[in-house]
Amino acid sequence: MGMRDFLDRIEHNFAAGGRYEKWYALYEAVDTFFYRPASVTKTTAHVRDGIDLKRMMITVWLCTFPAMFFGMWNVGHQANLIFAQSPELLAAQQGWRFSLIGALAGFDPASLWDCLVQGAAWFLPIYLVTFVVGGFWEVLFASVRRHEVNEGFFVTSVLFALILPPSIPLWQVALGISFGVVLGKEVFGGTGKNFLNPALVGRAFLFFAYPAQISGDGVWTAVDSYVGATSLSLGAAGGVEAIAGQGITWMDAFLGFEHGSIGETSALAILIGGAVLLLTKIAAWRIVAGVMLGMIATSALFNAIGSDSNPLFAMPWYWHLVVGGFAFGMIFMATDPVSAAMTHTGKWLFGALIGLMVVLIRVVNPAFPEGMMLAILFANLFAPLIDHFVVQANIKRRLARNV
Amino acid sequence: MSSQKESTARTLLVALVVCLVCSVFVAGAAVALKPIQIDNRQLDKQRSILAIAGLGEAGLSGKQVKALFAERIRMRVVDLQSGRFTDAQDAATFDPLKAAKDPQLSDALPGEQDIASIKRRERFSTVYLVETDGKLDTLILPVRGYGLWSTLHGFLAVKGDLNTVAGFGFYQHAETPGLGGEVDNPKWKALWPGKTLFDEQGAPAVQIIKGTVDPQSPQASHQVDGLAGATLTSKGVHNLLQFWLGRSGFGPFIANLRAGEA
Amino acid sequence: MAQPTIKEVLLNPIVHNNPIGLQILGVCSALAVTSNLKTALVMAIALTLVTGCSNLFISMVRHQIPSSIRMIVQMVIIASLVIVVDQILRAYAFSLAKQLSVFVGLIITNCIVMGRAEAFAMANPPVLSFFDGIGNGLGYSAMLIILGVIRELFGAGKLLGFEIIPVVNDGGWYVPNGLLLLPPSAFFLIGLIIWGLRSWKTEQAEAPSYKMAPQVQNKEAY
Repeated sequence: MGMRDFLDRIEHNFAAGGRYEKWYALYEAVDTFFYRPASVTKTTAHVRDGIDLKRMMITVWLCTFPAMFFGMWNVGHQANLIFAQSPELLAAQQGWRFSLIGALAGFDPASLWDCLVQGAAWFLPIYLVTFVVGGFWEVLFASVRRHEVNEGFFVTSVLFALILPPSIPLWQVALGISFGVVLGKEVFGGTGKNFLNPALVGRAFLFFAYPAQISGDGVWTAVDSYVGATSLSLGAAGGVEAIAGQGITWMDAFLGFEHGSIGETSALAILIGGAVLLLTKIAAWRIVAGVMLGMIATSALFNAIGSDSNPLFAMPWYWHLVVGGFAFGMIFMATDPVSAAMTHTGKWLFGALIGLMVVLIRVVNPAFPEGMMLAILFANLFAPLIDHFVVQANIKRRLARNV
Repeated sequence: MSSQKESTARTLLVALVVCLVCSVFVAGAAVALKPIQIDNRQLDKQRSILAIAGLGEAGLSGKQVKALFAERIRMRVVDLQSGRFTDAQDAATFDPLKAAKDPQLSDALPGEQDIASIKRRERFSTVYLVETDGKLDTLILPVRGYGLWSTLHGFLAVKGDLNTVAGFGFYQHAETPGLGGEVDNPKWKALWPGKTLFDEQGAPAVQIIKGTVDPQSPQASHQVDGLAGATLTSKGVHNLLQFWLGRSGFGPFIANLRAGEA
Repeated sequence: MAQPTIKEVLLNPIVHNNPIGLQILGVCSALAVTSNLKTALVMAIALTLVTGCSNLFISMVRHQIPSSIRMIVQMVIIASLVIVVDQILRAYAFSLAKQLSVFVGLIITNCIVMGRAEAFAMANPPVLSFFDGIGNGLGYSAMLIILGVIRELFGAGKLLGFEIIPVVNDGGWYVPNGLLLLPPSAFFLIGLIIWGLRSWKTEQAEAPSYKMAPQVQNKEAY
C-alpha cells in the first residue's frame, strides 16, 4: 500500500486550508483513479454495487479501443492505398507527419505497422489536443467550483476525437472540444447536469462553424487534396448502387474499409465494444434496441414509399446500419447515461426517436448528409420531456389501481 | 377625476383622437416618402444591372447610376413563348416577378419542365440591352431558381455573340453563409466571364461541375467550378441556367435574336 | 419613491440594468440583425429613437389615457412611430432597409419598447421618460454592437464591410467561423455575456430555484 500511504500523506496539502488547496480537484482525480472514493452515501437512496461512475466511465473508454485501433489502421490503410495508386500524391504531401511516418515506417498498404503508424500520426495529435484542451477546462471549472474532476471527460474526449475526420485542423479540434465542454456541459453545472452529449455538441459546433473541414468529399482521408466520398454521401448521390460502384460491398462497410470519420467506419469494431458495454449493463440495451427498431421501421417505410429522384429512399436498413456514424452513435452516444432518458419506457421511446430522426434527416433533408449527430442531439432535448410523461403515466396508473 | 376619465364616452373619445392623430402622422410620412422609395427600389435594380454588365464603378452616386443607366441600357419586354420583342407591356413599368404570380400573365410549369423549381413562369419578361451604334454589346437576362434554402434572383449578362458570358451574379438569395452563400464571392463570379453558354446545336451546354474544371477538357469552355461544400446550391444555379437558357426560358428569344428576327 | 435623475435613467440601463442582459427582453431582434455591424447599428439607432419618442409621447398623454384601453393606446403610438421609422429607412437607406427587412417593423413587438412605456412612461414626466427610453435603447444598442462586432469580425473577418482579418477564401489566413453568421450564435454569445455580467456583478444573479441536497459525505464507511 505504498501508494495509498503516499496519497494519504500528501492529502493535507490539498485539503481546505492546505498549501495546494486550489489543486484539490487534481489530487482527488488521481486518488480515486487508483482507489475507491472515501465518501459514503448520506441520503436514503443507497446503491450497493462494486461499480461507480469512475469505473463505469473507464470501461466505456476501454470499449472504444477496438474502434479506435481499427480506425487508426483504416486511416493509414486508406491513405496508403491512395499513395500506392498514385505515387505522385505521396511526393506532394508535406508536413511533420510525413517526415515522422517516413522515419518510423513506410507507406505500404499491406503492412499492418505502416498503416497503424500512419493512422496514429493523424489520430493521436487530435486525441492529445482534445485531451489537453478539454482537460484544461474540466480542471479549471472543477477547481473554481470545488467539484471533483469527473472521468466522464475521459469518455467525452475519446468519443469526440473518434467522430472527427482525420484531416481536421488541430486548432479546430481545440475550439470544438472547448465549446463542447464549456457550453455543452459546464455552463449547466458540470457532469450529470448537462442535457446534451458534450462530444456531439463540440462536433455540431465544428459542423456549423467550419463546414468545409468536416463535410463534403475532400476531408475524409488523410491525404491532402484527395477527394474521396464517404459511403453515406455516395449513397445520397446514387443509392446503394453508387456505393457498390466505388467497389465497396456491404461487408466492406460493415468491417470498415471505407472513408469516414476516424472511429466511425467499422460497425464490427464498434459492435465488439458495444457487446461488452451491453453485457456489463453499462449501456442501456433498451436504448440500443429502440434506436435499431426506430431505424429499421423508418427505413422500411421509406423503402415502401419509394422515390424516383431520391435514391436514399431505397436504402435498406442493413445499409443504414453500416454507413455514416449510425453504429457509433447508437452504441456510444445515444447511451450516454446523463443525456438519455432515464426511465425504462422512456429509453425505448428515446431510442426510437433517434432511429426515426436519423433516417428522416439522411433521406429527406437535402442539406445535412449525416443525421446521427443531429438526431441524437434532437432526442437529447426531448429526453426530459419523455421521462416526465412516462413518470406521469406511471403515477396515474398507480393512482387508478389504488382507488 | 378618475371616474370621469374612465367613462365610456371619454374612452371612445381618447381612442378616436389617438387613432386620428396617429393615422394622419403615418399617412403623411408614407405619402411624403413614397416617391423617394420607388426611386430607391429602381436605383437598386439599375445598380445591379450595371454591375453585371460591367458598366460603371462601384461607388457611383444615385444620379450617376440613373444617368448611366438611361444612357447605356435599353429595356425591352420579350414574349417568352414566341421569343420576340413585344410592346404588349410597357418596359418601364412591367414587373416580371409580379407577373409570375398573376394567373393572367403566367403559366404553371409542369414538374418535368420546372427544373429551376420556380413553379410559375411569367409570359413576358424584361431584358436589358447595351448597344453601341445600334449594335448589341451585351444582353442582360433576369434569371431565378431555387438553390438549397431560397430562390436565387440574379442577372446573366451575355456578350454580343449571344454565347459568351459577360457577367453573372445574384442580387438576392438566402443560401448558407460560407457555403452556398459563396455565390457572392467575387472569385467565383470571376470564373464566369468568357465561358460559353451553348453548344453547336444551340442547346444550353453551360454546366457547373463538382470540383475543379480540367482546362484540357474539350468541355472546359462550358464548365464552371462548383462551390465547395455546396452541392445543392451549385446544382440549383446549374438548373436555373439550364431552365432560363432552355426552351421554356429565353431559348427561343436568343435563337430569334441570333437569326435577327426578334 | 424619490424620482430618479436624468443621469440615472440614461446610464443605468447600459450595464446595471441592461434590457437584454438582465431583463432578457428584445432577444429576438438581437439574434436576427447582428450578423454584421452595420445592420446592428441601424437597428440600435432605430430602436433607441422609437423607445425614446414613444416614452415621450405616452408620458405626455398619460393623464388622458383611460386605463381600460391603455395598452392599445400605447401600441398605436408605438406602431405609428415604427412605421414612420421604417418608411424613412426605406427612403434614405434602402439597401439597409432591405437587409433589415421585417425586423424594423417588428420593433413594434419588441418588449423593451412596450415594457418601458408601461413600466416607466405611464408614471413619470415626459422629459424623464424620454431619457429613460433613450437609456434603455442605449442598453440594447450596447449589446447589439458587441454582438455585431464579434459576429462580423470573427464570422466574416470584416467590420462595417471593411476587411480587418484577411480570410482564407480571399487568400488570407483566417478561416471564418460560419456559425457566427447564423442566428443561433447570438444566443450563445448573449448567454456568455450574461454569464460574464453576472459573475462580475453578482447582485444580478437570480437565486437558484432548486438546490440538490448533498448525497455523499466524506467519511470512510465501516
